[in-house]
Amino acid sequence: MAIIVIAEDEFLLADLLASFLEDEGHEVRSAPHGVAALKLVRAHKPDLVITDFMMPLMTGLELAQEIRADLTLANIPILLVSGAQGDIGRDHPQMFNAVLDKPYDQTALLIAVGRLLSS
Amino acid sequence: MDSGVPGLNEVLGGGFVEGASYIVQGHPGAGKTILANQIAFAGAAAGRKVLYVTLLAETHTRLFQSLGTLDFFDQSRLGAGIAYVSVFQTLRDEGLSAVVSLLRHETKRQGATLLVFDGLLNARDRAETDIDVKTFVAEVQSQAAFVGCTVLFLTSTRLADDSPEHTMVDGVIELNDELSGVRSVRRLRVRKSRGSVSLNGFHQFEITQKGVSVYPRLEALLASPSILDRFSSERMPSGVEGWDEILGGGLPQGSVTLVFGPSGSGKTSLGLSFLSAASTSEPGMLFGFYETPERLLAKADALGINLRAAHTAGNVYLAWHPLTENVTDKLAGDLLEKVRQLGVKRLVIDALAGFERASVYKPRLVEFFAALTNELRALGVTTLATWEMQDFAGPSVVAPGPDISSMLDNLVMLRQVEMNSQLKRVVTVLKVRDARYSTQLFELSFGNRGLKIALPLQPVVGATTGIASSPEP
Repeated sequence: MAIIVIAEDEFLLADLLASFLEDEGHEVRSAPHGVAALKLVRAHKPDLVITDFMMPLMTGLELAQEIRADLTLANIPILLVSGAQGDIGRDHPQMFNAVLDKPYDQTALLIAVGRLLSS
Repeated sequence: MDSGVPGLNEVLGGGFVEGASYIVQGHPGAGKTILANQIAFAGAAAGRKVLYVTLLAETHTRLFQSLGTLDFFDQSRLGAGIAYVSVFQTLRDEGLSAVVSLLRHETKRQGATLLVFDGLLNARDRAETDIDVKTFVAEVQSQAAFVGCTVLFLTSTRLADDSPEHTMVDGVIELNDELSGVRSVRRLRVRKSRGSVSLNGFHQFEITQKGVSVYPRLEALLASPSILDRFSSERMPSGVEGWDEILGGGLPQGSVTLVFGPSGSGKTSLGLSFLSAASTSEPGMLFGFYETPERLLAKADALGINLRAAHTAGNVYLAWHPLTENVTDKLAGDLLEKVRQLGVKRLVIDALAGFERASVYKPRLVEFFAALTNELRALGVTTLATWEMQDFAGPSVVAPGPDISSMLDNLVMLRQVEMNSQLKRVVTVLKVRDARYSTQLFELSFGNRGLKIALPLQPVVGATTGIASSPEP
């Protein structure tokens, strides 16, 4: 079982993602924007962060930069899930360990999560 | 602020007022989301920063998939020019005041000068009292106005004029999609507009591959012609041998002539002859609903009318608008745009009924034609329009109504008259405004070298009824 923080402003996607991961036995914490997600990351030191790109207050890229800049959090794997900014994520491999383009299916998500948690 | 939506700036009286707030309302499917996104993408293309905030269940990915089929959608703008964010969770978990706070921070962070708030109904549902709604709208718009940000609140409910939201905002735009007979008609109306003089009433709009296009009602848009009408006493050769003499020297320049008669009486042929005299200094256009350009050219060839030469030389433009589902004001807009663009001086409209058929509210046609003809006169265009009479022969003459006839400068009637077991085409000039003209009846003949009006009709009785007989000796 792993602790996973989700940063996603769209509640339907956030709820769906959380349900999938909880069904796999993971403990999930969700935040509707980057600022709230960063607080969760600092509080829970998760095994994985899954983040959207476009969000209020703090983008997924800014969230990743904050995490990488904090030595106590810098090694947490980050998965970017995005509909339009996937390429920005791929251009920043030092920030994102993997990128999943929206819309994605359950299998692709679980494979990506499994790989990042096992690495 | 330029809306980026064809026709909408004119309806709004010059576009959106910078820093003002508007409600865009309409039932689901009315076109609000497409309209707002088109405005957002146009703004981003013009260098604006746009914040698009949703409170809806539809995911942004799904929204992008549906918008992706439209020409204005540009994926490269997502996150770079337009930021799409959802604040539903903030509303659900923390309430309206948290949303206001989040919007303030986000507007500042993005440097947004356009904020689209899609889902005002959800915010309304979260409010406990009307005061809460008022406070929410007031706070969002005042903090946006403070940084010069224009706000569009989208809502799928039809808010009453005295709703708290309406009383607070600067403008209200309503979108409708209703049935007119078997036809679906989209209409837009600006119900409120502070700081600009908008065009009143309904204006039809379409949603196509290009997005939304609004067609301002012509009589509202051109309540007065765009430029002053300069009266000219000059005459324009009609292109028909013998006709100029009857008209008193040709068609008065900058006038509107209605040629009416039954099918086959020679209306279109007369129009083609008029256009064959087009030149570089007097470009011509046929704005037609029935025959394709190629058929018109073939028809002119067959009648010996040298239209093809003027067409090949680029002096005549043939515009064909099939008589299918048209929008009256779109047709008029296309016509006037081409007239201005090409500098048209000789215009044939074949036939005025094409506008009538497209109209979903016929009582306005008198005002519509008044605006159209006034503008054509102001632009110095000499227009020949046709009107088809229902009966081929017989005493009844169903002419355009007096309201329409009186706004036309010249009236010419064509009839097919039975004489000595033969049908002859007879032309009668009923009116030439402010000029002398021949009131005699003349025969219109079709020869190998085009149309010709040679001799007055031999003395008969009852020619205008369609059945002539020899006069009593």
